[in-house]
Amino acid sequence: MKSEIGNLLPPASVLGVGAVTPLGRDLQAIGEQLAEPAAATPAILRVSDDFLPDPAIGGRMRRADRFARMAAVAALDSWAAAKDACANVPKQRVGLIVASGFGPHCRGFRFLDGLLDCGDSDALPTDFSHSVHGAAAAYITELLELRGPSLSTTDFEIGFEQAVLLAQCWLDQRACDRVIVGAVEEIGEVLIHCASRMLGGERKFVPGEGAVFMTLGPADAAGLARLEAIAQPPEVDLMVLDVPANPPMATERPTIAARITTTFSPYFGHSPSSSAFQLLGGFLSLRAGRPLGRLVATASPGHLAAVDKVATFKPSCDLRAASLLMTKA
Amino acid sequence: MSQNRGRPYSVWIAGVGAVSGAGPDVSSTLDAFWNARRSPASTLPFESSIICPTFQVAAELPTLPKAVNRCRSLRLAMMAVREAMAEAEIKEFSGDERVGVCIGTTVASQLNSIPFYDAYRREGNPPLDAVYDYLHANLAQGVAELLGAAGPRMTIVNACSSGTDAIGVAASWIRAGMCDVAIAGGADELNRVALAGFWSLGVMSSRPCAPFDRDRQGLNLGEGAGIVVLESPSHAEKRNKNHGMELAGFGAACDGHHLTAPHPEGRGLDAAIRTALSQAGVTPNQIAFINVHGTATTENDRAEGKVIARIFDSRVSLSATKGYTGHTLGAAGGLEAVFTVLGLRKGWIPASAGFENQAEDIAVAPVRQRTAIDGEFALSTSLAFGGNNSAVVIRRSE
Repeated sequence: MKSEIGNLLPPASVLGVGAVTPLGRDLQAIGEQLAEPAAATPAILRVSDDFLPDPAIGGRMRRADRFARMAAVAALDSWAAAKDACANVPKQRVGLIVASGFGPHCRGFRFLDGLLDCGDSDALPTDFSHSVHGAAAAYITELLELRGPSLSTTDFEIGFEQAVLLAQCWLDQRACDRVIVGAVEEIGEVLIHCASRMLGGERKFVPGEGAVFMTLGPADAAGLARLEAIAQPPEVDLMVLDVPANPPMATERPTIAARITTTFSPYFGHSPSSSAFQLLGGFLSLRAGRPLGRLVATASPGHLAAVDKVATFKPSCDLRAASLLMTKA
Repeated sequence: MSQNRGRPYSVWIAGVGAVSGAGPDVSSTLDAFWNARRSPASTLPFESSIICPTFQVAAELPTLPKAVNRCRSLRLAMMAVREAMAEAEIKEFSGDERVGVCIGTTVASQLNSIPFYDAYRREGNPPLDAVYDYLHANLAQGVAELLGAAGPRMTIVNACSSGTDAIGVAASWIRAGMCDVAIAGGADELNRVALAGFWSLGVMSSRPCAPFDRDRQGLNLGEGAGIVVLESPSHAEKRNKNHGMELAGFGAACDGHHLTAPHPEGRGLDAAIRTALSQAGVTPNQIAFINVHGTATTENDRAEGKVIARIFDSRVSLSATKGYTGHTLGAAGGLEAVFTVLGLRKGWIPASAGFENQAEDIAVAPVRQRTAIDGEFALSTSLAFGGNNSAVVIRRSE
C-alpha cells in the first residue's frame, strides 16, 4: 500500500529545461531523435565531450570533471531557458537540488589512484575536493551566483522523484521562489565492470549517463508544464516506463491506465537517476504533442492524438512518490 | 498541550540520540561534557602513514541484518536512532504511520573501498563484496527499511552540513503534512579515504583540536551519529505527548564562492542564521547560546567568528564541541543539534575542550568553563565544503 504523501502539495511550474544526454544537448535535436527508432543500442550510452564545453563556463571549471561539467551545463541551460521567468527573482530566493546515485565516483577513483600510487599523505587535494557529491552543486551555485539553499542527495531508486517532491515543498512553503532541480550520473569503467558482472546475462541492461535539470517555480507561475511527484499515476495519455531492460519484461508492463506506453531507455540508458531522463522524454513528447520514444503498448487506436498528460512509472518499485506527473501548462 | 502551535515553523523534538567519541549515548556524553573529559585516540582503526588524533566510537554497535551489517555508518546511525526512538516512546512502526527518514552522511555515500579498488587495478576481477556493501549503504534507505518507515526518504550529501540540512528537510516534510514523524540527523564513520583527503587539504591537526583558539592547527576527524525524532504537534497531541523541545527555525544558504573554502565574510552563514532566526520568530538577543561549527581550521573559525560577532552581541555564550567529538563530517550537524537540545534541557553547556587563548583574528570566543544557561532558544550552525551553510534554532518550551 503506497502512502499518498506525494499528492499533498501543489504541482510546480516548469519554467525551463536543460539536459546533456547521449543524444546531445539541444532539446530540439534530442526530440527529433526520439521520434525515430533508436539506433542499435551500444553497450554503454555515454555523453560525448563535444557537448560539454560552454562559453558561459569557460575556464571557471578547468579543474572540474565530467560529472560536474554535465551537471553544470544542464543546470545552466535550464536557468537560461527560464530566463524571462526568473529575471526579477533575487538569487537568495533560488534553491538548488542535485540528485545522483553514484556521484562523482570516477574522480573518487582518481583520488584512490593517487593514494595507492603516492601514499596516504601525498594524494591530490583537488581530486579529493572534487570527489565529494556536493562538488557539482558548488560549481553551479558559483557559476549562477546562487545564494539560496543548495542540497546534494544520493539514492539508488527514487532520488530524482524525492528531489522534485522537496522542490515542491520549498516552493509551497515559500522557502524559495525558484528551485533548480536535477539529476546527474556519470558512468565510469569500474562501474561498467561491476554492472556487467552483477547483472550480466540476466537482462539487457545498458548503463547511461548525462544530466537533466529543470528550473521550477510555484504553481501559479506561467510555465511550460506542471510537474509533481506522486504516489500512483492517474490515467494519463502517455505512460513512460522507467525500466532497465529493453524491451521491458512482461512483469514490468504497467497496470495503470494509459493510452500509450513508451520508454526512453534505448535512447538514454539506465542509471539510478534514469527517471529524470524518462521525464525529459515525456516533456519533449508534451512539447511535440505526440508520444516519442520506444513504443511498449497502446491501449487504443489513434495513438498519435495529442499528449497532454505524462507520467513516469517504475514498475518494480513499491515506494512512495516513485512517479512523476507532468501536465501541459 | 501543543504549546508550539503559535509558531508556524515549529515541530516537536520528541527524542534525541547521540553516539560519538564523547560517548556511546546521551548520558555518557553528558558525563564527558560535565567533566570536560575528552578521549582522542592516538592510533587509527586502519593502516595509514598519517599520524594524527581521531575520535572513535569504542562501544559495541548494534548487529544489523547480514546485508547491511558491514556498513559501520548505518550501524552508528541505528544506535542513535534507537536511543532517540526510546526517548520518544516509539517502540516500532506498524507500517501505517507516515514516517519520514532524512539522514546526512559523507563516507557512506561513496564507493571508496581501497582493498576493492587496489585489487581491481592489479587483478581486474576483484570480489564484489565491497560493491554490494556500498549499494546497501544508503543511510536513509537503510534506516527506513530497518524501521519499516513508509514516508519520504532522503540521504543528504552536503558534506559537513549534511546532518543539519537533513533536520531542516525533515521538518519541512512535517510542516507540509507529508509525514507525522521523521527520523533525522547524520551519521559517519572514520575512513582512510576521508583521512587522506583532509590531510591532503592541509587542514588537519597533529594535536587534539582547539576550536576558535589562537593556536588552532586544524581539525581532528571523528565518527558518530546524532539523531532527532521530529513529530508534528497534532500527532504528539494524539499520543498525549508534550516533548518540551521544538525545532523552531531552520535556514540554509550557499556562499557560491569556492569549492572548499568558506566565504571570507561568511556570506552564506549570515543568511542561513538570519533565516533560521526569522522562522523562529526571535531576535538575536533571545538566543541563549550557540553550538558553533568550530572545526578548528583557520578559515572556518575566522569566517564563523565574523558572522557571530556581526549578528549577536557579546553576551551570547558559544559552545564548541568538536574538541570532544572531532569533526564527524556528515554526522556533525545531527550531533550538534542534539548537544543544543541537551544544553537547553540541562541548563548548562560544557567547557569548550581545546580552547585556551582568544584568537587575534576572531572577535568572539567559546566558553572555557562549564557555563550555566538560562534561556528559551539556542542555535546550532554548520558550514561545509561547497559553500553550504545551515542553522537550526531550538526552543525549550516546557
